[in-house]
Amino acid sequence: MKEDFLQIDVTKGYPEFQLEVQLTVAEGEFFSLVGPSGCGKTTLLRLISGLTRPDQGRIILNDRDLTALTVWERKIGFVFQDYALFPHLTVGGNIEYGLKIQRLPGSQRQERIKKMLALFELEELVDRRVQELSGGERQRVALARALAPEPFLLLLDEPFAALDYGLRRRLRRELKELQTKLGFTAIFVTHQQEEALSLSDRLAVMAAGRILQVGTAAEVYSNPVHPFVATFLGDANLIPCTVQSGPEGLTVHPQGGKSLLLPSAPGRVCGSYLLMLRPEDLFLTTDAPVFTGEIRTAEYIGYGFSAEVEVGGGLILKLLTGKENPLLPGERVGLAFRPQAAKVIPDGAHHLAN
Amino acid sequence: MKRRNRSTWLGQRRKRLAGQARLFPLLLLAFFFLPVLVVLGQAFLRDQAWPELLAFLRSRQFQKVLVFSTGEAFWSACFSLALALPGAYFFGRYRFPGKRLLRSVLVLPFMLPGILVVLAMVVFYGQNGVFNSWLAALFPGQNRSFTGLYGFWGIVLTHVFYNFAFCLRMLGERWERISPQLEEASATLGAGRFTTWWRVILPLLAPTIGYLGALVFLYSFLSFTVVLVLGGYLYQTFEVLIYIEYNHKLRFNQASMLAAVQMIILAAILTFQRWTQRLSDRQNGTVSPLPPWQPKKQPVGAFFFLIYLTGSFFFFFLPLLFVLIRSFKERGQPEGLWTLTNYQDLLGTGFRFAVGSDLWTVVGTSLVLALTVGLVTTILAYLLARQRRLLPWGKLDLWFQLPMGVSFLTFAFGLLRLAGRSLPPVLLIIWAQIFLAFPLVYSLLRTARREGGEDYLAAAQTLGASGWELFWTVEFPLMRKALASAFAYGVALSLGDLSAVLVLGQGKVITLSVAVYRLIGHYHFPQAVALGTLFILLAVLLFALVEQGNRRFWSAERGEGSR
Repeated sequence: MKEDFLQIDVTKGYPEFQLEVQLTVAEGEFFSLVGPSGCGKTTLLRLISGLTRPDQGRIILNDRDLTALTVWERKIGFVFQDYALFPHLTVGGNIEYGLKIQRLPGSQRQERIKKMLALFELEELVDRRVQELSGGERQRVALARALAPEPFLLLLDEPFAALDYGLRRRLRRELKELQTKLGFTAIFVTHQQEEALSLSDRLAVMAAGRILQVGTAAEVYSNPVHPFVATFLGDANLIPCTVQSGPEGLTVHPQGGKSLLLPSAPGRVCGSYLLMLRPEDLFLTTDAPVFTGEIRTAEYIGYGFSAEVEVGGGLILKLLTGKENPLLPGERVGLAFRPQAAKVIPDGAHHLAN
Repeated sequence: MKRRNRSTWLGQRRKRLAGQARLFPLLLLAFFFLPVLVVLGQAFLRDQAWPELLAFLRSRQFQKVLVFSTGEAFWSACFSLALALPGAYFFGRYRFPGKRLLRSVLVLPFMLPGILVVLAMVVFYGQNGVFNSWLAALFPGQNRSFTGLYGFWGIVLTHVFYNFAFCLRMLGERWERISPQLEEASATLGAGRFTTWWRVILPLLAPTIGYLGALVFLYSFLSFTVVLVLGGYLYQTFEVLIYIEYNHKLRFNQASMLAAVQMIILAAILTFQRWTQRLSDRQNGTVSPLPPWQPKKQPVGAFFFLIYLTGSFFFFFLPLLFVLIRSFKERGQPEGLWTLTNYQDLLGTGFRFAVGSDLWTVVGTSLVLALTVGLVTTILAYLLARQRRLLPWGKLDLWFQLPMGVSFLTFAFGLLRLAGRSLPPVLLIIWAQIFLAFPLVYSLLRTARREGGEDYLAAAQTLGASGWELFWTVEFPLMRKALASAFAYGVALSLGDLSAVLVLGQGKVITLSVAVYRLIGHYHFPQAVALGTLFILLAVLLFALVEQGNRRFWSAERGEGSR
């Protein structure tokens, strides 16, 4: 497996927005780009495919410099958000399109179409017009069409966005299985954290045209390096704190709570930071709580309770508890957490502002 | 018990209303098709009808008319589309300043009365026209001039003038509905620009091209005014031939036969047109956000677009502009001094002598006729469109579109046989012009009814509104612009009509179109251009009214491209 199968180092400027990305994707990897709408995910995909030209930089795919190549010379598959299926062609015609363009001989073409139809369970729909297909069927046709010419790389631009929740879950599982089976390299764009976490071998969190963090889903979720990453992937309490570094670890003085000792972390020196705590990592305790406060809101959410607790200095902490601990607004509670669950991260708001 | 009685009464009332609802379209159809049936009856249900028909089909005259009509209609359609296609690309693919205004203006030639178009062409491209005076100035002493206006290519040129802008607008709108992402998808699958155009864009545009081609072919095939004036006795469409056979030679049987043959040909064209329209509708997408046009980044494209715009302006607006300019020139000549004499002459005896009536009577007659036709057609079409929502009747709609496929002259001519002796000419003309305007007005109002307001009406009903109150407080305000637009179309079509007034007016009813036609016939060009200018102003006014209503239905949302 080639680790630097795709190397991207590009900048692209817009009047209201500047995209600057350096990124490497490994061969056979399922890589996700995740971030809010307008952060530049689709622009990055378009730069890779050649639909948009970078102002500066290079894109290298499998040691081949793509930068000067046109879209049609790159051999990169693209699945569009609304699929962009050709309305004048049937399902079979859509899948055949790229093969015809490649001038693949008739027999090989038919063989490849058959393979794709079987792979995506579209055999019975081969002569159907694309307007007559359901959302899920369209999505499968779009994937089959993009994969039929056997591209070097497959780009997927929020392909599940138009589907309902149940179908989305089923299709993303199928997509992951397919990618594992066929072993193609894919870059997947989504603004849904759940999709990114469940599908990706690795993912990159983007905001305002920059990549803030790259890593496996578990790494990025557990060890966010930026407050935006912490809050975008899952829910997070970000508590302003001051940190003192010592031989036994980091002494953290959180706003509205008691000081505590956390394990050392590389790059954390004395100064102001944010203490990141996931709501599910906080628990109720009467025995030496770090925070004490009053429950402001409490919602029953089926598998437990979601609550907001006001601690010292007007700070509100989010909390998730199990069914066994019914919560009532107005109640005073104590909160603590396992030291391993807490992360000290730099206050990076200014990075985004730039 | 009381409740049951009430519900029975309501049920009966509903049934009665449904019965009435079905009766109305049928009555309307009867009014439309009775005259046509009279012509068909006369053509086929008489002694010697079939032998005469066969003999006619073998005659040289039939072949000559068929070859000419098909030829000029074919070339008119080809040139209109070929000229429209490059412009449609810019309209369909880019946003640029003034696009909306430009798009609106493109309807103007289509709204102009046929006789005005002929006048503008004669003024600009005629023997002593502006174009030839420019040629003479450019190539002094070389005797270069354009002499083809009164002939085959002149007729084609005039038909292109009429239809090109309409094709450009329709094609541009279709192109806007082809998602730019399809081109991108094609490119990511390895297709270059030409392949994408050939395999994706062209197949998607093809139904619209076919539809518009058939439409222009139909209009040109049925052309009356243009061919009557520019073709003389040398070039005749079926329409002109029917007119000559009936009005000049008084051969009703021959005219009926011609009309019947023409109807068969038209049925074939209409079938093709309907098929292409269905194909086009089936592939209709939504309008995607378009990228802005950036002349600096696409200098070659910008250059061609500017050339294209200039050429179109030259082709379209200069002829109209010169009608206006010449109306203020002495004797209507370009070298003449500026004057108001041409307008003053409209009130003189010369005008009365050439036209057969004084200006005020002509204007009054035209306005009364046009306003009546506009109003009645709008009311009838709206009532039908309203019922269309309540009572789905499927293919019956097609019958209301059929007037497009029946030559107008055939209808006028059948009407004359049917009611010529019992009704005064003015009523006959109104009847005929309602028939002429109905398909367009109905289709406009049906679209408006379909697109707007069912939810609002339902909301108003849940709030207690019903009957007239519902109409005045919600339905009318919602439909006001569409109704104004429909009314303006009705008025414009009536004002522009020449054939019905010529056939049914029997020389007694003189409208603006007839007056311009007679002035051209009598070579009173100075007065013709003066009257033409007044006529153009009226058409522009109506056009503004139509556009106001159309904006809602023709405009497309635009936004920034996606990141």
